[in-house]
Amino acid sequence: MKMQQGFFERNRSVFIFALIALTMPFWFPLIGGYSGLDTKIMVFCIFVVGFDLLLGYTGYLSFGHAAFFGIAAYTTGLMLKGFSDNIIPAIIVAVIVSTLVSVVIGLLTLKRTGIYFSILTLAFAEMFHSMAMAMLQQWTGGENGLTGMPTPMLFSIKMQGDAVFYFITFVAILMFYVAKRIERSPVGLMMRAIKCNQTRLEYTGINARKYKLLTFVISAAYAALAGALMVVYEPFVGHEFLGWHQSGEIVIMSVIGGVGTLVGPMLGAAFMLYFENVLSVDLGEQWLLVLGMIFMVVVIFMPGGFMEAVSRLQARFTQK
Amino acid sequence: MTDVKSDKSNKSASGWSRRDVLKASSVGAAGAAAPMFFTKNAWADGHESIGNYPVKGSEVVFGFNVPQTGAYADEGADELRAYKLAVKHLNNGGGMLDTLKPSMLSGNGVLGKKVAYVTGDTQTNADASRTSARRMIERDKVIMVTGGSSSGIAIAQQYLCNELGIIFMCGLTHSNDTTGKDKQRYGFRHFFNAHMTGKALAPVLSKEYGKDRRAFHLTADYSWGHTQQQSMQEFTEKEGWGTAGNIMTPLKTTDFSQYLAQVMNSDADVLVLNHYGANMVNSLTNAVNFGMRDMQKNGKNLEIVVPLYSRLMAKGAGSANIDGVLGTSGWNWALQDAGSQVFVDAFVAEYGFPPSQAAHTCYVQTLLYANACEMAGSFYPPAVIKALEDFEFDGAGNGSTLYRGADHQCIKSMLVMKGKSPSARSSDFDYLEVVQEVDRATANYDPSIFPGELGPYKPA
Amino acid sequence: MFDLSTNALFMMLLTGLQMGSIYVLIALGLTLIFGTLGVVNFAHGALYLVAIYLAVSINDAMGFGFALILVPAILFVLGVAMERGLIQYFYNRPHTDQILVTFGLAIVIQEVLKWFFGANNIPFAIPSWGNGIIMMHEWFPFLEGFVVYPKWRLILVVVSIITVAAVFALLHLTTFGLVIRAGMRDPEMLQFLGVNINRRFMIVFGLGSLIAGVAGVFGGPVTQVSPEVGMHLLVPSFLVVVIGGMGSLSGAVLAGVLIGMAQSFTAHDINLSTIIVYLITVIVLLVRPRGLLGAKGVFE
Repeated sequence: MKMQQGFFERNRSVFIFALIALTMPFWFPLIGGYSGLDTKIMVFCIFVVGFDLLLGYTGYLSFGHAAFFGIAAYTTGLMLKGFSDNIIPAIIVAVIVSTLVSVVIGLLTLKRTGIYFSILTLAFAEMFHSMAMAMLQQWTGGENGLTGMPTPMLFSIKMQGDAVFYFITFVAILMFYVAKRIERSPVGLMMRAIKCNQTRLEYTGINARKYKLLTFVISAAYAALAGALMVVYEPFVGHEFLGWHQSGEIVIMSVIGGVGTLVGPMLGAAFMLYFENVLSVDLGEQWLLVLGMIFMVVVIFMPGGFMEAVSRLQARFTQK
Repeated sequence: MTDVKSDKSNKSASGWSRRDVLKASSVGAAGAAAPMFFTKNAWADGHESIGNYPVKGSEVVFGFNVPQTGAYADEGADELRAYKLAVKHLNNGGGMLDTLKPSMLSGNGVLGKKVAYVTGDTQTNADASRTSARRMIERDKVIMVTGGSSSGIAIAQQYLCNELGIIFMCGLTHSNDTTGKDKQRYGFRHFFNAHMTGKALAPVLSKEYGKDRRAFHLTADYSWGHTQQQSMQEFTEKEGWGTAGNIMTPLKTTDFSQYLAQVMNSDADVLVLNHYGANMVNSLTNAVNFGMRDMQKNGKNLEIVVPLYSRLMAKGAGSANIDGVLGTSGWNWALQDAGSQVFVDAFVAEYGFPPSQAAHTCYVQTLLYANACEMAGSFYPPAVIKALEDFEFDGAGNGSTLYRGADHQCIKSMLVMKGKSPSARSSDFDYLEVVQEVDRATANYDPSIFPGELGPYKPA
Repeated sequence: MFDLSTNALFMMLLTGLQMGSIYVLIALGLTLIFGTLGVVNFAHGALYLVAIYLAVSINDAMGFGFALILVPAILFVLGVAMERGLIQYFYNRPHTDQILVTFGLAIVIQEVLKWFFGANNIPFAIPSWGNGIIMMHEWFPFLEGFVVYPKWRLILVVVSIITVAAVFALLHLTTFGLVIRAGMRDPEMLQFLGVNINRRFMIVFGLGSLIAGVAGVFGGPVTQVSPEVGMHLLVPSFLVVVIGGMGSLSGAVLAGVLIGMAQSFTAHDINLSTIIVYLITVIVLLVRPRGLLGAKGVFE
């Protein structure tokens, strides 16, 4: 048997991530962070890791993942309000509902490639967004958002402050590990093959559509889980969760971090949220302008994002 | 391809299996987190800690959460100016400290501590506003959060602050829901609401335009729009008007021609624009382009009504378009009472131009909060809340005012405004003139017409 | 509440036509650029934004005539600069990267304009010769009673028709147009034939931007001048391009009018009107993936 690396070596990045994440409450305040923000970063780490499986490995740029995030968030909120304040049934139902929706959307959108796919996903997301604002206002709270939820409970533990941070961080570590496993598995190989040359793959007799749909649904499930956890952390659902601006944010995070590396997008998520909430105070009104410029610089000069910068630096130093 | 072996044989060199590592790290994490569960409940002053009370150090921090980006950025900038001015006056005296009665403000900080502040950007977006409010509460340890230019944002923040035990002094929010079905014990609104607008405006409208009118409503499809439309319909129908129709317009609309076409096809002779901000600017401009100001229906001139006016909206629409259009405002810098004048003078001295109604309400809210702390003798939220509830005061513009305890809404006078024609304007800030000051008794209403409960004094 | 009287239908038709005009103008530039250069220009909404801000500033300072001439010219130069300075480096990069860089550019342009001009709306005064209403019932005897429509919006419709005709004339009646059309079919072949493709690309991008400039000058008073307008118009315009068929100019025109009509005729029901554009997109893309008039094989 080749490649018999130990468990630790193979999952080194997971352990490093776990170490950094679990100790966040200690070092994060030192750089101006605060205890709500680290939880939010963990939620978005889950979101982007799943998104990267789709964008980074199969190469499909979806502008519609906010739909799955938002649908799961609204479902979680409604479950908490109407069914029970225990988060477990809420999360399970939310992820199932959102994933089912993603199967339908995936079946419809994956027929097309490239730009058509992106536009289709955008159209769907905006459709859901409009529906949440208008048609389904009774349920979603429209522009006000969904409010008035009870304090979420994990059985008998209140999901507030540090409890919710550690809970979500554990889930994030787990989901990162799962993503790593997927990456290493035959499915991961198929994903990369699809990005490489889909036609050639189909000539070898493999049904690419099956794998595309699988990846799409997996990434949607990640988005759904993130949406559900977002509500556990912050009992509020805004209609912006569904809009294409939210999807756009995820894309920015993934690109700045480094698409296709799983770790990169998480760095990108942390960076962007940090930027938006900590640095923006010092920059004042123009923080979005600065962020936009950073984004452009990354896309133009360093399309591999942070991870590319890291590997270039590594190469620099090892050459010496 | 790696095979998945059973856990037992999957021990690495040091003898730890996956399970052991997971167990150890979870125990370690729980242990590390343990201290934090205890420090929250430190006692001081005989009161348990709620939110960011007790306040440590020689300063007390206020959180100003305003739209700095997004559609209402200009209004947010004005609110921020007012807040900074309020802090300056609280720390040094001056401004409305000289006119507010009863006041225990010393002009030397609050309860012996200097007032400092931090700012946040709501991005005109409810989720972002909660995020920045959280940052101010958890990192910057603010004792109070205030601000906002939209009802959805105010309501979202009210819920958050209510959960976390932080008092929220609303900025500009006009929806009935803020102190109606979404009222919260920790939320307070000084600005007037849609119900008061309807009540005050309808009689003036029927006097100006007659009782035999049919109104068509274009309504922004969100909480404020709905409540404004309901209030306007209720009160105009009391005056004998008919309602020819109501169309909801999506918030993002910039071109209203499709809706105006429907209005023109109906038999309505009054167009009510239940729109705010960019919506109103666009719908009014569109309506004027369609020649609706000069149109005749049912033998009468077609009239346009904009229930809620703000100077920024007026400026955006242009004085040619708002000329003669009636609406309401909470306050205007041309008012001559002592409180208003002292505020306007200070604002002009500091910034070079007069304040908007958004600035006024934010300034007053800050002072009222500080005053309530002084009266309660402590920053302990339940005590401050009780000090504000049913507080009667004067000298803050708007004459004698009651901060009603049943719904945390200020009951005070308000203004019916009319747009000035371009030739009548004296400056770049002079867009609206006061037609009538509606007194407090007329603006008053029974709080029980709106559902909703304030909730307990201490957060759950 | 759907009113089926002649008057109502006529008004809705006109409104649909006028709303469609803006979409057509923006989509035209978009599809021209995509069809020729293969570039997905997410910054097109931002170009329109620049156009309206320039137009309102020049109009206030020097009058509408100057705006009419200067704005499209400035936009042409801007388009060329964009192409030379940024876009040309992305021809060989995947579509995703093009979307991303133009998306980033759109954000930057929007924020810069907001920094400069403020977030509030700037009123765009219609020139006196365009102001006022036309008594439609005087022109169309089948209308009952009093039916009016704003003059400026009708002018907008006329301008779009002229622009569309001009673009078609350019493409079908001039040598330059011939080269462009050939380039849309097969850019590589064109290069082998010795045509300087780079110059052509540059000019086409400039042209697309120029059309956005025209849209800005005439559309400014209609869509209003504020920073969100760019992005707000971009998404439906993109959908228009896709529905009509990417790279198809007649498709863009057809789809633009179709969407304008759809929004106009569903105005009375907010639930329908907000999602009608997306519904149509989804249905068209699923039933006829290349768009209504798109060429087969283009990014299917």
